[in-house]
Parts: sequence; structure tokens; C-alpha cells
Amino acid sequence: MKVESLKILSAFVNELRRIFRDPGVMVIFIVATLAYPLIYKALYWNEQITNVPVAVVDLSNSPQSREFLHQWNATPDIRLTHTCVSMKEAEQLLRDQKVHGIIYFPRDFAKQLADPLGQARISLYCDMSSFLYMKAIYLSCNQVMLESMRNIQIDRYEQMGMDKEFAWALVQDAPYTETALFTPTGGYGSFLIPAVLVLILHQTLFFGICMLGGTAREEGLDQYSIRSLIGRSIAYFLIYYALAAILLGFFPRLFGIPHIGAIGDILLLMIPYILAVVFFSLCVSVFIRNRESGLVILISTSLIFLFMAGISWPKEMIPDEWRYLSFFIPYTWGAHGFIHINSMGATLWQTRMEYFALWGLTVGYFAIACILFYIKNIRKNDGTTDRIPSPTGNGTLQTGL
Amino acid sequence: MKYIFINIWRVMQRELKMMFARPLYLFASVGVMLLSTFFFLTLMQGGSAEKMPVAVVDLDQTSISRRLIHEMQATPSVDIQLITNSYPEAREAMQQGKIYGIFVIPECFYDELVSFKRPKMDFYVTNAYTVGGNTAYKQMLTMVNLTSGAFQREVLRKKGLPDDVIMHRIQPLAIEGHMVANPWGNYSVYLVSTILPGILGLICLMLTIFAIGFELKMRTSHAWLKAAGGNYTVAMIGKLIPYTLIYIILGIGCHIILYRFAGFPVYGSHTRLMFGLLLFIFAMEALGITLIGLLPTLRDALSIGALYSMLGFSLSGFTYPQMAMLPPVKALSYLEPLRHYYLIYVNEALMAAPVENSIPHMLALTGFMLASLFVAPRLYDALVYQNYPLK
Repeated sequence: MKVESLKILSAFVNELRRIFRDPGVMVIFIVATLAYPLIYKALYWNEQITNVPVAVVDLSNSPQSREFLHQWNATPDIRLTHTCVSMKEAEQLLRDQKVHGIIYFPRDFAKQLADPLGQARISLYCDMSSFLYMKAIYLSCNQVMLESMRNIQIDRYEQMGMDKEFAWALVQDAPYTETALFTPTGGYGSFLIPAVLVLILHQTLFFGICMLGGTAREEGLDQYSIRSLIGRSIAYFLIYYALAAILLGFFPRLFGIPHIGAIGDILLLMIPYILAVVFFSLCVSVFIRNRESGLVILISTSLIFLFMAGISWPKEMIPDEWRYLSFFIPYTWGAHGFIHINSMGATLWQTRMEYFALWGLTVGYFAIACILFYIKNIRKNDGTTDRIPSPTGNGTLQTGL
Repeated sequence: MKYIFINIWRVMQRELKMMFARPLYLFASVGVMLLSTFFFLTLMQGGSAEKMPVAVVDLDQTSISRRLIHEMQATPSVDIQLITNSYPEAREAMQQGKIYGIFVIPECFYDELVSFKRPKMDFYVTNAYTVGGNTAYKQMLTMVNLTSGAFQREVLRKKGLPDDVIMHRIQPLAIEGHMVANPWGNYSVYLVSTILPGILGLICLMLTIFAIGFELKMRTSHAWLKAAGGNYTVAMIGKLIPYTLIYIILGIGCHIILYRFAGFPVYGSHTRLMFGLLLFIFAMEALGITLIGLLPTLRDALSIGALYSMLGFSLSGFTYPQMAMLPPVKALSYLEPLRHYYLIYVNEALMAAPVENSIPHMLALTGFMLASLFVAPRLYDALVYQNYPLK
């Protein structure tokens, strides 16, 4: 037993040595992991989209339309930059991307408002090249409209002979307050960066393990004993647990990303998360023959993992087949768990589903890794391994010039 | 002149052999592209998020509050998953990601309503999930309007007014929303139209780095140059032709799938959009040559290439608009070929803009190709002297 643990220890030390002596792995493990969050924070620095330029086509040219525009321009979301005499002119501006929206008042706008039975119409054209333009333009315009609509309604009810007090009560009968919970600024960065942080841990660790596995195979140093599986896992786990603590514990506090959860709960959630990613990656790395092959997996899976987890595209909208598949990816549970605790202040107990799912994946992938390593070990001892010769020993393609 | 073509052919033959000897190349290009196309088109079949699960907290618990909830449940754009009389319970459901919004009917709702006071509704939406939260927000407004509208209607009906007259009194002002070039507000149109070409570009960049860098790593660059008769240009052209053909086919295939089969709109010119895509592919290949030329070690070039091109998805500005970025980040975004392709896409597919609007971006993409020529001496030296580390 003592010998066994010594062997595990030696596999652990050996793997640490390989990691720290391999500049490529160090770049991925340390530099990319720490640089990427900073880059993303810089990218999404301004949380809100403000002052989206909008063109005005006001054919009614009435005090009412001017009042409306005045109120709308006062909202932070948009800025009325151009006044056009025709739709044609405004469309030209939209086409040239000088504005991202057009507001159009028809000629009979004021007349319809004055008519107690009339309905005045405003047309709003939104640039759909980014969803956030539409959100800024449409929601702010809607707000101004609801506000001015109340005044018109009161006027109309008064004309009908109701007293003002009653008319006011009638249009305001169900006032409401709206509260955005958890991330007060409601910005894009506050929402995306927590999900990206968890993804960075997943993908750099995944890629790094594949790279180390591929290198070992190229050099003929691959070890498939269970001892080496455990020793290597401990090495990856220790490095990444520290990185997870920095990225998920301190980074949000340092850079003003929402962090209302208990740091202890986050650290507890990260134990099964990092372990699940380690064993998941070790399973995949068995099939990697070259140092660089893992890269293909990295570039093809990053966006798919992000979308499949149901973060930027709500999980309720994802077809069941993809949804079930996503349950086998540690990222899905890690990201939701982290967002629930960190951004929404849930406790670990409230996040138990994600937490236990991650332990489930840890046990499952550990078992699969053991089986894969066992099979590989037998094959290797048979001498039927299919590894390619080391590059320096391959002189056949080398010709002098 | 004749020798040049023969040499190009020889390099191509050598390359094809290497390509088919390693499944990585075809898997990384064709396989990844097929998988991504299939994934993103099936993922967003619905296209737009219409309703999200929300909770109603009924603190009033009277017949009128229950009737209101009933009415809300009958509205197709509202999806009530949880009805409870405890706010903490609803909040916990939100923290567990089960619901995206909470609608609170206050305790005194019935009493205030019958005495013509103004009962106040509260609603809460989560911002931790952007799309889900926004959709829930719209849904909440619908629910408030339902409450408000139903009440006004009842009062006016009692006054003996016909329904159509009531309608205009309740809604004297209306906004007609027009979503230019995407009238359905379809999320997948603007997302997939940039993501798929972006993934193709990523493949072009990485495989170009790989194809050249692998010769350096395996110390086979002499054989490569020998096949090319010692000519750098011939060596490059011969090597890249087979890959470029694959990328062109993938690019055209992607275009046909998106704009013919998936039915995404193109209001401008198909030809120019496709031309833009091809320029983008060439620009990404050229960027690959530039990177492996600057860093003639496979490992370094691949890492930097992956970092650079993954950032392209964010920097291109198709989710988070470029106008909101900080000035230095904004400047950086022009160094991403995907930014230029995205703008060509906006001009051609969505805006049907005149060709002058796209030309600057086509020129910028051409600029990436020209830039790769500057690393030629450095890369040639690396191929001849093999003086960079292996790993």
C-alpha cells in the first residue's frame, strides 16, 4: 500500500514537472486562463448600449410629435441624430449604418390624437444587425409611448365627462413597479462574463490535457496505469483548483462583475466541476495521437458547449436531443451552478442539482477513464500500440536542399 | 514557366498524400463544419424566444386574483409555471433557474380594486440570463396590461360603450414596430449568419498554420521546398490549393444551406455576399501564414491563432454592438477579418446597400492577404534553416 501511494506520488510529481517544463502547456494553463478574462472584461466594459443614433421623419410636424420626440430623446438609450424630410432619406442613413433606427410620424398623427375615437400610429424601424439595437430602441420608445398614452387617455375620459380624479384612477388602475433582480445594471458583460469564466476553465484544461496526452504519445512516454491516472489527475486538479479560485472567487470582486454568492459555496461547487472536467478530458485524451490534435476539438466545441448549455440561448428553447446531450458536458452544470450561486445568490443547497450532477459526472468519467486506461495498458504491453514514431527519429522525409 | 506548373503539381500531390494520411485535416475542416451547421440550425429551430416560464405570487388569494391568474394562463404568450402564495418560494425557484420572472399580486388587491383605489402590482425579472430575462420582461408587461385593460373595459362597458370604441380609448396611441430585414425578430438569422462563417474562418486559419507549421515541426520543410524547386511562392501555392478548394466548397455549401434551404433573407446581392465570404476565407488563410511566419513554432502560432480568432466572434460586434466598445477595443475590432465579413453581410443581406458600402471592407480583407507577403522572407528562412524549437 505504501509502495502504491509512492508510485502515485511519483506520477503526480512527474506530471507537474512535465506541465511546468512545457511552455505551450504553460501558455494555455496559466497565460490564456488569466489573460482571457481580462480581455473579455475590457471588451464588454460598457454594460449598457446607450445613445443609439436614430433618425426622425416627422410628417405631422405637430406639437404632440415634438413633445414625444423630446421625451424620447431624454432617455439614455437613444439619441435623435438626424431629422429627415422623407423616409427615403432616412432609409439611406440606415443603409449606411449612420443610424440604427427610424421613427416615423404620419401626416394625420395629431389629427388622430385629437379625434376622441381615433388611434394615432407611430412607425418604428429597427436595425436588426444586432439584437441589442432593437432592444434599446424598442423598449425606450415603448416606455415613452405608455407615458404619453396615459395623458391622452385622461384627456379623453375628461372629454367624456368623467371627473379627473376618476379618469386618473381608471388609467392607472394597475400601476406596477418593475425590479431587475441580481444584476442591477442589467448589462451584457454582467451576464456573459460569468458564463465565459467557467468556459475558459473548461476549455483550457480540456485542451491542455489533450496536448499533454498527445505529446506523451509522440514521445512514447505515455503511461496508462491507474496509478498514473490518479497521479496526473491530482496534478491537474491542484493547478486548476487554484485557478478556479482566482477566476471565480477573486476576479468578479476585483472587476465589478456581479458576485452576490458565498465564496465558500463557489469553492465547494468547483471541487466536482474541476474533477469532472479532468476525467472528461482524460477520457478524450486517450484518443488523441498528436500534440496539436486537441486543438481541433477545442475550436469545434467551444461555441457548441456555450450554446448547448442554454446560457445565451435559453435552455427552455433548446431541442430535447441537444439538451440531453448537454447533460454529459461538465460545463453545462458548472456554468448554471456558478451563475445561480454567484450571480443570483443561491446557496449550495439550492444548487444541489448541479452539484450532484457534477459529482455524478466525476464518478462516471473516472470509471470510463479507468476502463480506457486499462485497455490501453494491455494493448501497450502487447506491443500493438499505434503511436507514431517520434519526429526526430523520422528521417525518411528529410532531404537536403 | 512550364516547370513552375509542374512543381506546383508536385507540391500538390505531396500535400494530398499527407492530407489523406492524416484524418485530422478532413475531420477538422469538413467534419467540424458539418457538425457546426447541423448544431446551430437545429438548436435554433424556433428562432425566437416567445415565452419563458414565470411565477405568480398570489398574496391576495381572492376570487378576483384567481380569475386574473386564470386569464393570464389563458393568454398564449404567457407561460405560468408556478403559482404560490410565498415570495421566497418563487425567488428560490428563480435562483434554481426554473423561472425567469415573478409577478406579485399584492395582499390588498381585491379591496383596493372594488373601492377604485389603485392596487400596485410588482414584478421581478432575472438579469442573470439575458435572453430569458428580457423575454420574461415583455411577458410581464403583457400581464400588467391584461390587468389594466380588463379593468378599464369592465368600467367602460358598464357605461354602455360599444367594444370597438372602447378599444381606441384604451389604446389611443400605437407603435408599429418594423424590424428591418428580419421581420420575425428571428434570433437565429443574425446569430447563425455570422457564427457559421466565423467557424469556417477559424478552421481556415488554424489548418493553414497547422499545414505549414507541421513541416517545421517534423523537419520536413526541406522536402517540401525541394518538391517546389526551391521556390517559396510555388511551395505556398501548391500547398494551399487543395485546402483552399475544400474551403471554397465549404463556403459555397454554407451559403446555399443558409440562404436557400434555411431560408435566411438576402435582400441585396447574393454574388457580392458570396464574394465577401470567399475574400474572408482567403484573408483568414493569409492571417494563418502571417502568424506562422511571425512565430515559426507550430505550438506558439496555434495558440495565438486560436486566441485571436476566438476573439473575432466577440469583436465583430454581431451580438454586442461595436459602438458600445471602448475606443481601443473598437480599433482592435478592425484587425479581425470577421468584423469586415459581418459588415459586408449586413450591407448585402440585410440592408441591400449599394456596393460602395461594402468595398472598403472588401479592400480591408484584401489587405490581410497582402500583409502575409511581408512575412515571406522570415518564413522562408525558417523553412531553410529550421532554426526554431520543435514543440
